[in-house]
Amino acid sequence: MIEQAKNGGGLIIVGEVAMGFPPPRTSYARAAYGNTEPNTQSATWLRIGQDGSVTAYAGKVEYGQGIRSGLAMEVADELRLPLDAVEVVLGDTDRTPWDMGTFGSQSTARAGLQLRKAAATAREALLELAADHLDLPVADLTCANGQVASVQDSGHSVTYGDLLSEKTIERDLVEDIELTPESKFTVMGTDALRIDAIDQVTGKATYSQDIIVENMLYAAVLRRPSVDAKLLDLDTTAAEHMPGVQQVVRDNHLIAVLAETDEQAERSSATLQAQWEEQEDRSSQLDLPELLKKSGGDPFTVQEAGSLEEGFREADELLEATYYIPYVSTVPMEPRAAVARWDGDKLTVWAGTQRPFGLRTELAGRFEIDESNVRVIAPEIGGGFGSKSLYPTAHEAARLARVAGRPVRVAHTRGEEMQWGTVRPAALIEVKSGFKSDGTLVAWQFDAYHATNERPFIGRRGSDTPYTTPHVKVTTYSSQSPLRVGSYRSLGGAVNHFAREVHMDEIAEATGIDPVELRLRNLREPRFRRVLESAADAFGWEAKQPPSKRGVGVAIGLDVGSYIATCVELGVQGAEVRVERVTAALDCGLTVNPEGAKNQTEGGIVMGMGTALYEAVDFQAGTVLTAGFARYRVPRINNAPQIETVLVGDPETPSTGAGEPGIVPIAAAISNAVFDLTGKRQRELPIQRHLR
Amino acid sequence: MLSVTVNGEEQDAPEAGRNLLSFLRFDLGLTGSKYGCGEGLCGACTVLVDGQPLRACMATVGSVVGGSITTIEGLAQDGDLHPVQQAFIDESAMQCGYCIPGFIMTAAGLLGRDASPSSAQIREALAENMCRCGTYMRIQRAVERASGQLGGSA
Repeated sequence: MIEQAKNGGGLIIVGEVAMGFPPPRTSYARAAYGNTEPNTQSATWLRIGQDGSVTAYAGKVEYGQGIRSGLAMEVADELRLPLDAVEVVLGDTDRTPWDMGTFGSQSTARAGLQLRKAAATAREALLELAADHLDLPVADLTCANGQVASVQDSGHSVTYGDLLSEKTIERDLVEDIELTPESKFTVMGTDALRIDAIDQVTGKATYSQDIIVENMLYAAVLRRPSVDAKLLDLDTTAAEHMPGVQQVVRDNHLIAVLAETDEQAERSSATLQAQWEEQEDRSSQLDLPELLKKSGGDPFTVQEAGSLEEGFREADELLEATYYIPYVSTVPMEPRAAVARWDGDKLTVWAGTQRPFGLRTELAGRFEIDESNVRVIAPEIGGGFGSKSLYPTAHEAARLARVAGRPVRVAHTRGEEMQWGTVRPAALIEVKSGFKSDGTLVAWQFDAYHATNERPFIGRRGSDTPYTTPHVKVTTYSSQSPLRVGSYRSLGGAVNHFAREVHMDEIAEATGIDPVELRLRNLREPRFRRVLESAADAFGWEAKQPPSKRGVGVAIGLDVGSYIATCVELGVQGAEVRVERVTAALDCGLTVNPEGAKNQTEGGIVMGMGTALYEAVDFQAGTVLTAGFARYRVPRINNAPQIETVLVGDPETPSTGAGEPGIVPIAAAISNAVFDLTGKRQRELPIQRHLR
Repeated sequence: MLSVTVNGEEQDAPEAGRNLLSFLRFDLGLTGSKYGCGEGLCGACTVLVDGQPLRACMATVGSVVGGSITTIEGLAQDGDLHPVQQAFIDESAMQCGYCIPGFIMTAAGLLGRDASPSSAQIREALAENMCRCGTYMRIQRAVERASGQLGGSA
């Protein structure tokens, strides 16, 4: 039970932390990290203080998706309060309910729903208290603006604070409580401004790179020159005599200089004399396509129906093509950083991780101490896009602080972040389709080789086809990866969608059918049809036989339960194509925070545009060559298109994620638009490299 | 002892060779200026020196002695947000927010030189900064709003 959240009394709503975990979709966490078991059954989700102040608690973290605002909106509406009356505490293992991690666009769908129930429970409790206080039946009372008032006489009222003055009341969250219907929302569904905006624009927002604690030492960690390099010999003499150096720590494979300032640590670490033995058979980017195919094992059938042989026989025409998507780097603007402090056997770690509770479990295990002696605080996170689920930096800080007997800060440089962070698995995807001359699909064979190493689930996401096809087989393979791979926005979803949606365009080309029309002929799911028709309509799509030389392209996607269709229009700028205009139609069910959903969709589109046009992690002999912005190009403001997002979700349908769908179809839509413009099919990313 | 002016206050500096960004962040605790790349390529560390944008990660304290430095913490005057700060709020021009101080300082520097830049001039100035969350369209609108030409032509 989280006791800290109860300090000060008032009305406390306690509920289960598991919320039905582990549900099927988040089996991802179990496969990836193993930490699906909460160490408590219940926790405080909401507290209305004796002064009427409202605090909501969630173990999620804020890394740009705007959940602090989104969750506050849900609580505000249920409690009939303005948005700025709600404070949201996130990602602190001592203060918030246990949470598996912030990934898979689950925050609004799960934590948000739990907080709505907690707030509705609190509202009911306040009504009961007010009934006593005002001597009126509950049915004659209503909540508004932080007060409970008589329906007949709004002057006959009492504030939440007055009802709770000097009281401490604990209530269990009521699972089946009646939630406020969409027609009565006053905060949810509106274009509210972010509650954390003021801190961001004044520099007050504090990220893990910004954590400075008293008596802290700065670490510079010695990194290997390539992935599997082994240390043969190390001379630390020079470093130990540099100004400000407190010590050079050698703890197993972790070697670091600890100094009084960041620059002293960096300068002295540069004097470490290390001899390395590097692996002989280190592969390079040029070997990767072959390695993906050759090493592909662990075949996993994602989708199967009918018989491919029969399907290919029935088809009027067959089409085979191979698609290649290189590694890309997540490149959050904030490189990982962590500060660790030991107070006796108690460890406090500040780390911008997407999994504060998972990290707590890891640290407790590493140091063989009880989880209650470890506190992980996730401050604001300067972007993560999936990559900050793994946070080795925090382990390094905790180990070094233990040895040093002082707090230690470990912060990645940009180069370290891009050399030693994880990359999205590269993939080689083979597609063979059979179709009738009217564009109707009869057979679909999809074999995807993702460089996922021990994380095969990454490659499965989004590999199934939504098009009605009688004979289908979709198989994913887990291939060896020379580089460390990890999560990325939509995992393999955007990668698989690229191959499938470009291939659909190739069928449109082969049959001479307009690409929107071709997709509609093969789509039954009404939500898919609606996003596609809405996007085409808002974009002003005119049906033409491709390539039409206009530079327009379309693709559709399904991710985290949300449906999306995206249309793009390209222009030419010097030797480059430029994405001028993007229209996306998104159906994420009930949209709690439309402004947030649009912002996220735009972000996914810009990020995906980078992967389509510019981005690839180049590597040679196990070393990343593109570990810095000088050699790794990401979109800048002068590359950014005008984006229109149309929200078409049905408010009666439960909320699904909005953070990831935007990236899923965009690379294919851009590739298809390049074909429409130039007549040249682009099956390999990044496209800009192949246009020169 | 060297001294520099930061947000209107004289500050003692340890040594001329101290990296300006490290000095601001770790010696003065002004962590609003961010480390993004250390190579002057992302703009997250942008501060104003006598009104001109400077990549603090590429400068030393010695190089700005005698100059007046403004960081994101010193941009608001007497509790009133700078118009660029207010415009970023009004346009929800942010996600994770890590790059935002740098964008605001670059934009404030631009508007200090030219109160009504064209949309193309805004894009050109801001192309020195990176936002990985992809809020560019909103950032563009925010700076246009701050320059009083919201919806102006390119």
